[in-house]
Amino acid sequence: MKSGVKKLIVSKEGILFCIFLFVFFLMSLLSPGRFLSWYNLQSMAYQLPEFGILALSMMIVIVTGGINLSLTYTATLSMIVGGMVMANISAAGGNGILAVLAGIVIMIGMASLCGVFNGFVVAYIGVTPMLATLGAMTLFEGISLNITKGGAISGFPFEFLMIGSGTVLGIPIPMILFILIIVGTWLFLERSKMGMSIYMIGCNPKVALYSGVRVKRIIFQTYLIASVLAAIAGVLMASRYNSAKESYGSSYLLQAVAASVLGGTNISGGEGKIAGTVIAVMILQVISSGLNIFGLNRYLTNVVMGGILIVVLTINFLTEKRSK
Amino acid sequence: MKRVLTVLLLMMFCLSFVVANGSQEVAVSDEITIVVMPKLVGIPYFNASETGAIQAGKDLGINVIYTGPTTPDAAEQVRMLEDLISKGVDAICVAPNDAAAMTPVLMKAKKAGIAVLDWDTPADASVVDLSIHQIDDREYGEHIWDLLVQEMGDTGDYAIVTGGLSAANLNTWIDAGLAYAKKQYPGLNLVTGKVPTDEKQQVAYQKTLDLIKAYPNLKGVVGVSTPAPLGAAQAVQEKGMKDSIAVVGTSLPTDSGPYLADESLRVGTLWDPAKLGYLTVVMAYNFLNGEKPQDGQEIANVGKISVWADGRTVIMGPPADFTKENYASFSF
Repeated sequence: MKSGVKKLIVSKEGILFCIFLFVFFLMSLLSPGRFLSWYNLQSMAYQLPEFGILALSMMIVIVTGGINLSLTYTATLSMIVGGMVMANISAAGGNGILAVLAGIVIMIGMASLCGVFNGFVVAYIGVTPMLATLGAMTLFEGISLNITKGGAISGFPFEFLMIGSGTVLGIPIPMILFILIIVGTWLFLERSKMGMSIYMIGCNPKVALYSGVRVKRIIFQTYLIASVLAAIAGVLMASRYNSAKESYGSSYLLQAVAASVLGGTNISGGEGKIAGTVIAVMILQVISSGLNIFGLNRYLTNVVMGGILIVVLTINFLTEKRSK
Repeated sequence: MKRVLTVLLLMMFCLSFVVANGSQEVAVSDEITIVVMPKLVGIPYFNASETGAIQAGKDLGINVIYTGPTTPDAAEQVRMLEDLISKGVDAICVAPNDAAAMTPVLMKAKKAGIAVLDWDTPADASVVDLSIHQIDDREYGEHIWDLLVQEMGDTGDYAIVTGGLSAANLNTWIDAGLAYAKKQYPGLNLVTGKVPTDEKQQVAYQKTLDLIKAYPNLKGVVGVSTPAPLGAAQAVQEKGMKDSIAVVGTSLPTDSGPYLADESLRVGTLWDPAKLGYLTVVMAYNFLNGEKPQDGQEIANVGKISVWADGRTVIMGPPADFTKENYASFSF
């Protein structure tokens, strides 16, 4: 038991969690009475999930040794298409709940199409993930802009807004969704056969292939699942912003990569834990909100974020080296 | 290693109690705090409005926070606004990257008893207490096209380089200008749809080079958004085509100096963003004091403002044109 605790604390995730606690208390000290207020904690609980889900989506792709640069545009394209249907049903006087259900189904369907596209190009055609998804990013952005003509899709039924702003037993609905997704992706990645195959592919696709893993199929499915996660983040964003537009969340793209790597995911694949990514997302959220409330210059906020990323990566690198 | 970590953890626990106790008493200061949030920080236009907003804070003896995202992303802006509501401020003045996306968070702010204003770009009219406009959008759009015709003549090919396809104010000017051109200058031929440039001079430069190559008969370029005309002028300057291609657009006089000087940028037209920042803070302050803006009211350091019939849309005034002759006399 004792050695188990010790192992937990000196593991990557343990160190990260200590860092999280540290920044949390630091921020509480910097803005006494404001950061630790109920209002702010709740506001952070609304902000965290959309980014957290995107980071998890990015992470599972990175574990295969890939990357998904079209992540945020997958989310926005699907929310635009689904949002249009939803707004139209609602405008035609249709049932609100039915419109929401139809909208969400279409959002997830649209994202699946994006995922199939990415997965096909990467897994079966064999284009380097970075190039394939870079192209897909521009493609999805272009399609979105063609639909919206640069405007935003709005006029969603009232029921839809509840997803992003409602609470169940005092817990924000986005947070509940996020927790469900954390558990789901954990079971999928760290407790299932397919998850194991993903790690193997990320370590060495050739060895995985010769060990009887259907490499292409698994990679294809991973992109598909990642896109569905992106669609869920899209649902949250569309609901929270009461509209859908191609540029929403564009700043999340690189942050999602940063959160994965900060959480201990190896950028070249084969390594990474859901818990690490989640804690990393929490760290980034606390720093961003905390410094905002404290009133630090926005440029310095970026400097602090970058600094923390580099420090943590260095610590990870050094502890890994020592353990070898 | 383990001992150090244990000590660290214990310290944090102790700290948490101190903080939790400290947080019981919510700090209340009686100083007025006004937040002015641009679409993004770190571009010349919004840097200029920052100096105005901060100056107004000094003149009025109030606390002005000027902060915004580093990329023009609506999601980032919403997050920052939510944090600022947590912080507890008296007024929020926002230049939305996307009007629709701001509505829920601005309603949250109102619920928390915060005065909500928009500036530079309008937000959802139903949630703002006051709306500060630099200019009458339709008149401004028409003015830009008048300048274009004055420089390139009323026939020929031209193109539009814009900051972003989804920026509401830029689109409003372009739409106003295009509608006006259709009626007033039927000889003008827009060669292609408006070209987006991500609010970056470098991108505008690249895209203009492409335009010059693709449309050899190009006679004019309209740059909308402050970096766009600079990029377009840079391309024209480099190609040595300043006599055959007229670039006009919405740019700051100091930035565009090098291009205005050799006429690769023929005319820039804009308002003073510092004044806009100043006016925004003054209007927010007056509103918090229960004072409504009046049509024709004289604002110190800004000038006469006009107010629409709805009583909450404030217009700063007509734009200033910058040319080779006069650009040096402006300070922004």
